[in-house]
Amino acid sequence: MTDADANIAEVSLCPVLDLQAAEPLRAELMALRGRPLQIDASQVSRMGGLCLQVLLSARMSWAEDGLPLRIEQASDGFLEQLAAFGGPQINFEPEGAHL
Amino acid sequence: MDPFESIKATFFQECEELLTDMESGLLAMEQGDDDSETINAVFRAVHSVKGGAGAFGLEELIRFAHVFETVLDEMRSGKLHLTDEVAKVLLRASDVLADHVAAARSGGSVDEGRTVGMIADLQGLIDQDRAAELGLNDDGDSAAVEEDFGFVPVVLSLDEPATDAPEVDVAALMAAAAEPVEVDEAAAPADAAPAWRVTFRPKAEMYAKANEAALVLRELARLGDVEVALDASAVPPLDQLSAEQAYLTWTIRLSGDKSEAEVREVFEFVEDDCDLEVTREGEAAAEVAEPPLAADDDASASAVEAAAAAPLDLDALLARVSAPAAEPATPAAPAPAPIAAAPPPAAPPPAQDPASMDVAGLIALAEKASQDHAQTQSAPAKAEPKADQKAEARAAAGPATAATPTIRVDLDRVDRLINAVGELVIQQAMLSQRVFESGLARSSDVALGLEDLELLTREIQDSVMAIRAQPVKSVFQRMPRLVREVADMVGKKVRLVMDGENTEVDKTVIERLSDPITHMLRNAIDHGLETPDEREAGGKGIEGTVRLAALHRGGRIVIEVADDGRGINRPRVRGIAVSKGLIAEDAVLSDDEIDNLIFLPGFSTADVVSDISGRGVGMDVVKRSIQALGGRISITSEPGKGSKFSMSLPLTLAVLDGMVVSAADQTLVAPLSNIVESLTPRAEDVHLIGGRDAVICIRDTFVPLIDVGVALGFRDTPLPPASGVAVLVESEGGGKAALLVEAIQGQRQVVIKSLEANYQHIHGVAAATILGDGRVALILDVDALVTTSRRKAPRIEKRMAV
Repeated sequence: MTDADANIAEVSLCPVLDLQAAEPLRAELMALRGRPLQIDASQVSRMGGLCLQVLLSARMSWAEDGLPLRIEQASDGFLEQLAAFGGPQINFEPEGAHL
Repeated sequence: MDPFESIKATFFQECEELLTDMESGLLAMEQGDDDSETINAVFRAVHSVKGGAGAFGLEELIRFAHVFETVLDEMRSGKLHLTDEVAKVLLRASDVLADHVAAARSGGSVDEGRTVGMIADLQGLIDQDRAAELGLNDDGDSAAVEEDFGFVPVVLSLDEPATDAPEVDVAALMAAAAEPVEVDEAAAPADAAPAWRVTFRPKAEMYAKANEAALVLRELARLGDVEVALDASAVPPLDQLSAEQAYLTWTIRLSGDKSEAEVREVFEFVEDDCDLEVTREGEAAAEVAEPPLAADDDASASAVEAAAAAPLDLDALLARVSAPAAEPATPAAPAPAPIAAAPPPAAPPPAQDPASMDVAGLIALAEKASQDHAQTQSAPAKAEPKADQKAEARAAAGPATAATPTIRVDLDRVDRLINAVGELVIQQAMLSQRVFESGLARSSDVALGLEDLELLTREIQDSVMAIRAQPVKSVFQRMPRLVREVADMVGKKVRLVMDGENTEVDKTVIERLSDPITHMLRNAIDHGLETPDEREAGGKGIEGTVRLAALHRGGRIVIEVADDGRGINRPRVRGIAVSKGLIAEDAVLSDDEIDNLIFLPGFSTADVVSDISGRGVGMDVVKRSIQALGGRISITSEPGKGSKFSMSLPLTLAVLDGMVVSAADQTLVAPLSNIVESLTPRAEDVHLIGGRDAVICIRDTFVPLIDVGVALGFRDTPLPPASGVAVLVESEGGGKAALLVEAIQGQRQVVIKSLEANYQHIHGVAAATILGDGRVALILDVDALVTTSRRKAPRIEKRMAV
């Protein structure tokens, strides 16, 4: 996966992931499709259902492509909210792959 | 602004509206309106405040709102009946809630003692009634607690184009589906079950209304221990995802002894925008595999189609039941079928013959799914048809809130626009004047064009004014609270009746209405109304009534504050006025004039009609503040029956229709609304009373003739009446007078420029304006002129003696 390693895309999530943030986030992630993705969630203070959908959808797409997707440095707010949402899995590691 | 702060600001704006709704609902309830819709409206308002507060972590507000809400919920469910006492407590609670909101907004604190006391009062309401009616479940509305649950078979008709669509007994189907894995729970008595299963599927509308699934879940978590399971199977891959569509479904297991109503409460204001199922754990329902995956087989598709046609929202359930659940442990595995989450009308099932699916097949699929579920131990989901029906019924019963689109605009911008339009009007007038002076024929194209321009200008002006017009409600809504507090303070029982809250008036006027109204209401309660004992002795009900009304009259807004109290003690008022030298001892005053004496400066309210002292502000201050608005105040009173204050204000402070007159070489404007008629006085109609006060006889009635030039000090020698024009004017109090001026120039719309803002208040002059030729003209304060001429009699005498 050295090609992919060199090609790792990084995205930093904005602090408030609400209704307004959903479409920009989707567009941002769409643009990075086909590359391993690291998502920096350190700034997140609030996350709503729509952005969760975007992240889950991204995970699905990345899984389809067999590319890794990983949340990095998740803030407490992010983790807490994720847990309140039922703790869905967002990270995706293809078998045998390392990010 | 920080987006979070701006959301918060919006929340507080909404709070204001909610509190208003709440208050009007409570007031209706105080009048005995125990309609469930009214109670629901109040409940929703309190709940929304609480919900928003939860989002911002306003703990104190939440705590209080919760108690308040609980009491309201008792009412909703019919456990607490509306009595006068209950309504009063609720009203006071609403005040405390408003305090909490205000405190949260300003970052201040609330009176802790008052809150605690109020909470105790509220709890007092519940406990009593609960004790009395424990066990009763007399639900008045559709949010009924379904404690005596037993499932009712619902016939689901698959009325698709297929001719022999089978009838499916859904409940039985679900029971069958549930049985293999949930035998114990299903067999347990429903009301002993300790947990609720909540299936919550937001729709896009919910997010669009800025409601947030996260908050709802958090709110739910407040009720007890929750286990949240997320079904993300409907989420499409990123390239097919619409960011504002809703795909997620949550299944929450909530343990604790909350009632269904309490659970549903959490969803109170998203319930129309989500699919919600609340079932007791152990009720017969379909346990299904979680999460379902690609439902691409025929049976699934047709099941969805069938359900979509049915009144029940079972599409997702059936889809799940029939899903082959290949990888249940992977919630976000590729699932390109959006059908499970789509609401029934939007379900896009492929055309399939529903008859190809039979009940047995469904059950088999359900069992398979259930077994899968048992193996994977994922969180289960559950559907309950009754819950859905109820939700639908409630949605149908709910008020249609078709909001007209509005925007919020900074007042500053509107002010700038109004100012610009004001200048436009002046400029247009000046242009007209120039054209006229240039000697162009009236029928010339330029003149005609100018006329059109004038009409257009006028229209623009009216439209701009309409932007600023607002109902007086925003002021009125603060008054019930004031009345309650003042009534408590002075130990009187008062009922406030409000009328005409939707009367519209310019925003600048509204802002300045609050103080005078407040003062007049205080005055009415403090001085006007008697104590309960006195009222009883006087043969009145112990509860006094204060009526606050707003109405449009003659291009002005009239605010009336009337009480049914003791009325004005005229001999005393007169006595005080004489002793203070405000009127001549032998002055002959009508009752009306005596009543109006209380507005004179220096007339101490403390000595007037009650021993309860005034609050440092006399009625003269009220009068002055109203006059500053170009308004007038008058009082009518009937001993023993009550008093009525009326204040009349211009609808706008920006423009005025006026009659341009000239007096002593000055150009003046008399407000058209005051003018009754104009005439040329004949010498024989003018009489001097006592050799000094001129009156004019108009159609057999005598009215004072006021020489404007002299009254305003432009000139010392009076104009010979016959050489001028008399303009008959009527003051707000109904008093008439004739203003003697030299000539009338014509009628014109003028833009008001405040004299106070630019110079200072001048008695007899309301404001100024800029005329077409660029000169400043004063606008007459007709009311001041008329009243001055009446009561200044002794002073005029003094002046003349000097």
